[in-house]
Amino acid sequence: MSKAFSFVLGIVCVILLAITLISADKVLQAGPQLPRPPYEKQAEYHLVLITQELEAPFWVKVAEGAKEEADNNGSSIEVWGSYAKDQEEFLKKLEIAIDSKVDGIIVQGLDNDDFKELTKIKAAFYGIPIITVANDVPMADSLRRTYVGSDQFLAGQMIAKQLLTDMGTTGTVALMGDSQEEYYQQQRVNGIMSILQKYPGVRTEYAETTESREKIIATTQDVLNRIPDVDAFIAVNANITDAMVQEIGRRSQVAPYDIYSFDDSKDTLPLLKAGKLDGIIEQSPDEMGRLSVKRIIEWLRGETVPLNADGYLTRIRMLRAADLR
Amino acid sequence: MNSIQRKILTLAAAVMFVMAAIWLSLTYYNQKTQDQYNSILQRYLHMNEVTNASQQTVTALNNYLVNPNPKNLQQVNSNKERLRVARLEVMDLRNAENDFALTSYMNLIDSLIETTDRSIMFLSEEETEESTNAVSEATRMSKYISEMTLTLLDSELKTYDRFYRGIIEQSTELKTFGVWLLLSITFLLLFFTYWFSRSITRPVQKLTQAAKELSRGRFDLKVEVTSNDEISFLAKMFERMRININNLIVEIQQKAQLENELQQNKLLLQESQLRSLQSQINPHFLFNTLDTLSKKAYLEGSEETSDLLANVAGLLRYNLKRLDRSVTLYDEVKVLHQYMEIQNARFTDRLRFNTEIDESCLYVQIPGLTLQPIVENAVIHAVEPLEDGGTIDFRIAQDGERVRIEISDNGPGMQEDKIKEILEERGVQTGGHSTGIGFSNVVRRLRLFYGMNDIIEIESGEQLGTRVILLIPKVRRSEKDDKAADRG
Repeated sequence: MSKAFSFVLGIVCVILLAITLISADKVLQAGPQLPRPPYEKQAEYHLVLITQELEAPFWVKVAEGAKEEADNNGSSIEVWGSYAKDQEEFLKKLEIAIDSKVDGIIVQGLDNDDFKELTKIKAAFYGIPIITVANDVPMADSLRRTYVGSDQFLAGQMIAKQLLTDMGTTGTVALMGDSQEEYYQQQRVNGIMSILQKYPGVRTEYAETTESREKIIATTQDVLNRIPDVDAFIAVNANITDAMVQEIGRRSQVAPYDIYSFDDSKDTLPLLKAGKLDGIIEQSPDEMGRLSVKRIIEWLRGETVPLNADGYLTRIRMLRAADLR
Repeated sequence: MNSIQRKILTLAAAVMFVMAAIWLSLTYYNQKTQDQYNSILQRYLHMNEVTNASQQTVTALNNYLVNPNPKNLQQVNSNKERLRVARLEVMDLRNAENDFALTSYMNLIDSLIETTDRSIMFLSEEETEESTNAVSEATRMSKYISEMTLTLLDSELKTYDRFYRGIIEQSTELKTFGVWLLLSITFLLLFFTYWFSRSITRPVQKLTQAAKELSRGRFDLKVEVTSNDEISFLAKMFERMRININNLIVEIQQKAQLENELQQNKLLLQESQLRSLQSQINPHFLFNTLDTLSKKAYLEGSEETSDLLANVAGLLRYNLKRLDRSVTLYDEVKVLHQYMEIQNARFTDRLRFNTEIDESCLYVQIPGLTLQPIVENAVIHAVEPLEDGGTIDFRIAQDGERVRIEISDNGPGMQEDKIKEILEERGVQTGGHSTGIGFSNVVRRLRLFYGMNDIIEIESGEQLGTRVILLIPKVRRSEKDDKAADRG
């Protein structure tokens, strides 16, 4: 009897010990894990990429390219900015970046006075280099070191040429742009006009709108009313494309119109795929990100001083709806 | 120290050790957790300190601007110093996730300090507008710092999320662990205490059992206790005592048995003495009767018969008396003559008995009734069956160290295998009648008496008669030995 008793007791002891050990292991495993310590090697340069449209796929790609390049060069880059073209927030971020004395700022150009004030006076005061990306602001106004992005004038020309191919040399073209009249937009319009002016049969109508949806719709209605025989639309600012196409589609069939735009808005590519746009200018946001970081690091290291003031242009190409099908 | 005490102390020490180990590890763990909580709180406090310091710096700066006196300037400077200290402390909060943000944060603080300095400088140079601008810039910066603090705190929460959850999870697991630990220690202690107490009580029980058996008188059960303490020693002593008692009992029993046997032997001896006395009475009666007959024959004038009867009585007396002791050769020869006279009376002329005796040899010792059976054998085989009878020659002569006794007849002789049988003492009774003491008996007695084998020889051949030769040593070997032994 005593033997059985001690045997059972022994078994119970062993089981309990095993459970206790497992539990102890769990306690040790569950121990708090401290976050990684800072990297041994400090980043060479602290860079900031600031945009107004953090949500746009275009800018997501720019950020990706920039991060990749910064990693390759042992620098760190943060992407700051505002959503949905919130200029006030955008400018605040720019000011914080300057006050934080980062080593370099890569910024989406904003063609207004506050922006110029910050770049020209404050950034220069702290000696922080600024590169504009995708959207340029002329050097004279912004004291930017250089511009990295598409040649907007050439892009305008490409659209105009495509338009002539699709529409023929006679017709009425409505250009839709926003009222800010930013530098890159002017460039695009200039490019378009430089081609179309050579054809007397082509009449161009320029309509301005703000970026609010109601206003775009109103303006589009206005254009359709004023020029019933309009043949083609070019949305010089990609952000107004969606509302514009929607309004045209409500009035009549979209198909008869030749509609063109650019890719720096999240709406344009789906519209093109849906066949509602006839063509867009496809830029290289990835390349822009990479190239801008590369250039600013080159400048910071003193390898390329000064940087080319005219800018470093990235690839663009015409993407037609016909090609996608 | 004795070993039961040592066992108890060992158990107590083991329990103490386990308790101490658990207490130590729990204390250590608590301390560690405390440290972790402290460091987490420190992080938040440091960041908050930056916000506070920057806001107060700007407030002090504004006061100074409105009312530029040294006291306010002192206020600004002290707040600035506080901000610097806070900045240094924030530097320690760096980790992989907030590396960039923290660098910007610190630079922002630097910028605020610089701007503050700048505004004070402008004020001292009476450039009020510049100064106001700088102050508004400083105010904005202070706002940015507050915002950035919040951002950093936010990212801090994200970064340390796993850390906090880890702490919570660990404390939960620790609770479970505590319960299991308590259970296993309880059972372990139960097990060891049981085992330990048994190691003490079991030998005692065994010893008790053994004592009980012993008290009941069972001394053959071995007392076996396998432990290494005092009980084992006690058991050993007990076992020795048991063995001693056992031995004593066996001794007593043996003695009793021996006495019993002795008693029986005594009885037997008395009985045999009685019997031997009894047996001596019967022949005497026979001898007396024979003597009476002899006298009667003599009185009636039959002298020959009287002699014969006297001889028979003498022979019988000798026969009964001397069988078991040694006699001299002289006695033997005398008895032989008596025997031959009796045989003469029977065979008359047919038996011719010639003797040739060296008188000087008659002193030798010889077992009783040695010669008579041999001669009787010769009479039976060599005289009785023959019509003309036979001749028996009896001769005693010196032969070096021995005495040579020859008994020869001229009968038909003995078979070879018969001789062999006799010499090998295979107790063959010679055909028909005899004294009951056979030839082989004689051979055997002679050999035993002298302790030698070459005492007797038999020569025989077909129709050549038989010659029996006894070679008797003049001095008995065993006699010599006995004397030597007596002397020794």
